[in-house]
Amino acid sequence: MADYMRYVYLGVVLAPLLASIIAGLFGRSIGRAGAHWVTIIGVGIAFILSSVAFNYIVFDGGEVFNGAVYTWLVSGDTRLVIGFLIDRLSVTMMVVVSFVSWVIHIYTIGYMHDDPGYQRFFSYTALFTFFMLILVMANNFLQLLFGWEGVGLVSYLLIGFWFKRESANQASVKAFLANRIGDFGFVLGIAAIMTYFHTLDYAQVFQQAPLMANTTIELLRGTAWPLMTVICVLLFIGAMGKSAQVPLHVWLPDSMEGPTPISALIHAATMVTAGIFMVARMSPLYELSATALSLVLVVGAIGAFFIGVLGVVQHDIKRVIAYSTISQLGYMAAALGASAFSAGIFHLVTHAFFKALLFLAAGSIIIAMHHEQDMRKMGGLGKYMPITWITMVIGGLALSGVPGTAGFFSKDAIIDAVGHSNLPGAGFAHVALLVGVFVTALYTFRLIFLVFHGPERFGAEVRKHVHESQAVVIVPLIVLAIPSLMLGAILVGPMLYEGHFGHALLVLPQYDVLAQMGEDYHGPWALVLHGLIGLPFIFALLGFGVAWYCYIKRPDIPKRAAERAQIIYNVLVHKYGFDEFYESFFAGGARGVGNLFWRVGDVALIDGLAVNGSARAVGWFSSIVRTIQSGFLYHYAFAMIIGLLLLLAIFVHGIL
Amino acid sequence: MTDQIIFYALALLLIFAGSMVITVRNPVHAALFLVLAFFTSAAIWLLLEAEFLAIALVLVYVGAVMVLFLFVMMMLDINLAPLREGFARYLPVGGLVALLMMFAMGLVVGPRYFGSERFPVPARHAADYSNTKELGSVLYTDYVYPFEIAAAILLVAIVAAIALTLRRRPHIKAQKPQLQVAVRREDRIRLVKMTSEKKGSP
Amino acid sequence: MIFDIAPAAPEIFVLGMACVVLIVEAYHNEPSHALVYWLAQVTLLGAAVLTLYFGPEQTVLAFNDIFVSDPMSALLKVAVCVVTFVVFLYSRTYLREHDLLKGEYFVLGLFAVLGMMVLISAHNLLTIYLGLELLSLSLYAMVALHRDSESASEAAMKYFVLSALASGMLLYGISILYGVTGNLDLARVSLIITEQTEPNTLLIFGLVFVIVGVAFKLGAVPFHMWIPDVYQGAPTSVTLFISTAPKLAAFAMAIRLLVDGLGGLIGSWQDMLIILSFLSMAAGNIIAIAQSNIKRMLAYSTIAHVGFLLLGILSGTLAGYSSAMFYVIVYALMTTAAFGMVILLSRSGFESDRLDDFKGLAQQSQWFAFVMLIVMFSLAGVPPFVGFWGKWFVLKEVIDAGIVWLAAFAVIFTVIGAFYYLRIVKLMYFDKADTDRSITSSHEMRFVISVNGLAILALGLAPGLLMSLCVAALSA
Repeated sequence: MADYMRYVYLGVVLAPLLASIIAGLFGRSIGRAGAHWVTIIGVGIAFILSSVAFNYIVFDGGEVFNGAVYTWLVSGDTRLVIGFLIDRLSVTMMVVVSFVSWVIHIYTIGYMHDDPGYQRFFSYTALFTFFMLILVMANNFLQLLFGWEGVGLVSYLLIGFWFKRESANQASVKAFLANRIGDFGFVLGIAAIMTYFHTLDYAQVFQQAPLMANTTIELLRGTAWPLMTVICVLLFIGAMGKSAQVPLHVWLPDSMEGPTPISALIHAATMVTAGIFMVARMSPLYELSATALSLVLVVGAIGAFFIGVLGVVQHDIKRVIAYSTISQLGYMAAALGASAFSAGIFHLVTHAFFKALLFLAAGSIIIAMHHEQDMRKMGGLGKYMPITWITMVIGGLALSGVPGTAGFFSKDAIIDAVGHSNLPGAGFAHVALLVGVFVTALYTFRLIFLVFHGPERFGAEVRKHVHESQAVVIVPLIVLAIPSLMLGAILVGPMLYEGHFGHALLVLPQYDVLAQMGEDYHGPWALVLHGLIGLPFIFALLGFGVAWYCYIKRPDIPKRAAERAQIIYNVLVHKYGFDEFYESFFAGGARGVGNLFWRVGDVALIDGLAVNGSARAVGWFSSIVRTIQSGFLYHYAFAMIIGLLLLLAIFVHGIL
Repeated sequence: MTDQIIFYALALLLIFAGSMVITVRNPVHAALFLVLAFFTSAAIWLLLEAEFLAIALVLVYVGAVMVLFLFVMMMLDINLAPLREGFARYLPVGGLVALLMMFAMGLVVGPRYFGSERFPVPARHAADYSNTKELGSVLYTDYVYPFEIAAAILLVAIVAAIALTLRRRPHIKAQKPQLQVAVRREDRIRLVKMTSEKKGSP
Repeated sequence: MIFDIAPAAPEIFVLGMACVVLIVEAYHNEPSHALVYWLAQVTLLGAAVLTLYFGPEQTVLAFNDIFVSDPMSALLKVAVCVVTFVVFLYSRTYLREHDLLKGEYFVLGLFAVLGMMVLISAHNLLTIYLGLELLSLSLYAMVALHRDSESASEAAMKYFVLSALASGMLLYGISILYGVTGNLDLARVSLIITEQTEPNTLLIFGLVFVIVGVAFKLGAVPFHMWIPDVYQGAPTSVTLFISTAPKLAAFAMAIRLLVDGLGGLIGSWQDMLIILSFLSMAAGNIIAIAQSNIKRMLAYSTIAHVGFLLLGILSGTLAGYSSAMFYVIVYALMTTAAFGMVILLSRSGFESDRLDDFKGLAQQSQWFAFVMLIVMFSLAGVPPFVGFWGKWFVLKEVIDAGIVWLAAFAVIFTVIGAFYYLRIVKLMYFDKADTDRSITSSHEMRFVISVNGLAILALGLAPGLLMSLCVAALSA
């Protein structure tokens, strides 16, 4: 056992934290350059150490580390510790998180160049990296929650980074509220675990879980609920909030109000995948509840298709990618539901790269267009920004799952796995995911065609300034484009079929769809060849074709189609009315109830009785007190005597 | 039997003296009643064979403390009328509470719990038994720690009294006899040599 | 007869040094009183070192069983010395700025420390009383030391008379206990009480008076009346002292009397403390809202905290006593910082004791506003500051003891109390300053108050350390 690994793990989390503190508290003294250097070095150290850990665990076959590094508090028989569980799952996540974060830190130098909140921004992003690493490295639920809330907090801060913009403030509040609903379920789930397992340590919970498989609890009198289903569903509600699953996805498109590096880092590559990671981490629990798996599967599939469709009608370039993110998160969730946990994580990894790439490329365009995000005002940019164009096309191909790209391997594996699954709802999910591929290709190439091809729809003034972005922006694009192309072929074998994750993920034999698929696995090339004639690719081609026809060949079609199918178009533009529903039902309902309470409660009870009443009562009370606290000595002595008398009366003479 | 008669007589006198201390108008009278209270309690202690304590009470409190007290009162001539202004106003409430208090305490601290039949009769000491000697022998051995603490309390009292009353007044003009006596000729007289004026100058 | 005086070495050292300081003060009269100050500080450090050096693993009795030295006494004595050290440091700045610097302040302070140590190590009803008197007498004098201030004299007078009344009650209770048990030794009193088969009304009667004495010293409602007036009237340096270290001693006094001596009557004193605790939390938190003077506000805050402290004691378990001990040490730490901030902001001719004096502090001194924010959050019980853990441990013990309703009220009162703590944060960060403020305090003061504030944060992040000390101190 390499003892020094313990310090490597500590270094992974402490380096970004330290960098964040330095950049945040001493930002003014170290200056702008100091802030980006210190955070880039801090996150870079985290990446290097993560790679060391990855190498140690995966290639050298080092032992899994599961232990406390610091005991925070012992209260009775409850031990609250800061501890790490470093196994094949967590090292994979650590490398992805720290690498993407690192690249985005570099990119930010260019993107935020003129922003007055430069140091603050770097401090936040480094802090985010710290929380995310804490989350993935946790070995107990409390620390998981700490990281979970931490990333939520930074996400809130960063969405509202430009706090002078009203819309940014509203978006940050919206994200916060949606996450709060999810976190409520999440906390309840953790509380349920604490109640029934009497521990928050992963290893102990997982060990005891099979014994609890048939335990039922009474939520309502006379009803029996399987404990595992209750816990898993509650935890998944948390994941719904964080990973933007239907119906708590509404915050993610609005979160695009934040700076683009943040959209890439937090709202595409890392934080939103926390829910996926959490479900995978809890695989020993989810495997014990078919109901919960089924729920995850169906919710994921709904998101993958129905929310993806919304991307087709958006005009804001970042929002299109945001809806695409929700859709891809749906794919991941569907994989988890089908017990193909490693496929879910695999897609998470590849998605992190190509989605970060897409966002950063979009950012590059936004810089060039002077912070114009409406695609209707772009077009024909390909010749001005060739590198951005090429990298974005690579990202688009990967996203659409064109055979050979990273996205192909992971997405096909998911679709295949869901096809093999026997859970209730798997049939529906399979169809939804397949059609989802068509939708994905459609909105992806719609975006590319609208932005890079066709006529230029911007003014002469803008044309003068449009040019390829500077090196700190371009280099990260290239760095991310390479894995977006290659990573899938490299990882597909080890991750899905050769047991990369070892014992970190648990799949029961009756659900093991990947094992069935593994029988037909003959290496990545065979997969690519097979993929070229597969149904998903045909759907993707179809999507590409439709996009080309509608946005290059006959640009008038979309408008006509929208007029024809006005109902559908309206539904889509209104995003199925989720926002309106929440607005009118929950927010409105809350306002209505609030109004009622305000009238009855506030005005009558609280204002009348409690506030004015309590003000009067406090006034009355303090007038009494004032007469007691009169400053006169004998009053004080008198009060003491009265107190003594009362004590005597109660305890000695038994009066009262 | 005689013991009891003496005890009750003294006890009644003590209560009377105590209540007079807080009710009489003239402060000098109050102080004198306090002296009476000390005397009677000293007498009760004598009944309990605590001769040393009884004598110490008379010597220290009556002989020293109260006399000093009386001196101060007579010198300062404090007008206590304002202090007593509220007395009549608060008497009903205060009296009621005092009565309640007495009642509450009397219920418990009565013969039911403290009756003499509940306690063994203490052994009578021989005629040559010295209470003073006994006290002395434990005071510096068994009880040396509390004794030292008591000494520290007295020291604090002295420090506090001096700190609160001693005022250094640098600007005050007062004679300093010791300096006047110790004065030397050189301090006061300076001989100055002057050339004499020449006559006949213009 | 041979005495083993080693366990009492810290007390002997403090007494000896207090006398030395007294003499030095009398003959070495220099206006800055630097020598006196440093001798006093060395005394405190020396006493802490001696306490640790002679600190026993087990309970050791000395002086014919009158004196006890155990891990609890060692921890509390060290805490008293450290807190007083910091208090002296803050006080010196304040006294110098306000032209009140007198050597007697430090001499009396040392004697008060001696009184606290005696109280902490008391194993006999007699020493409890004597320690209490030594402590109180020194404190009266310290309050009155600023003779030209009418409010200080008034405060001293009130403190003296009320304290005398409470002492009388305590002494009466002790005499009743002595009358029933025939003993002054706490262990023997405890033995006799536990041997009794039927409930003894007389013991309860004595207990009531003893409780009144303890409650007065701690400042529990309705025996709290002296606290606001004395805190406000006394010079801030003295208020700082009264509100911190003596509470540690009062806690020790409560444990010695109620647990060590009257543990057999727990059924009765638990109910009494429930009443006192409830009233203290309610009155302290509600009345504090109406205050505009920060010293007075902190006085009511103290009363509220005393209510919480009593929660730990009344739970009646070792874990409960440890949580109360944790609470009182943490309380001392936080209050030192809070009054320290008042001193830091005050300067010659300006007291800075109104709430409005904190307006806009953040614009003028970001760092000290932050320190004050830590202190206020911690006093309010906001995690992760240590004040939260104090409340957490105490509440947990109360719930474990089955008195859930009281815990629920405690939480409600805490929420009410948060209002007035957070109001200061609001004043500091969101309001405009009325006065132009410059912080004139010495560098050592600035440094120590920063450390003090950060300690609150650090202990909050790692509460286990202090808590395990408290648990170890009481389980020995």
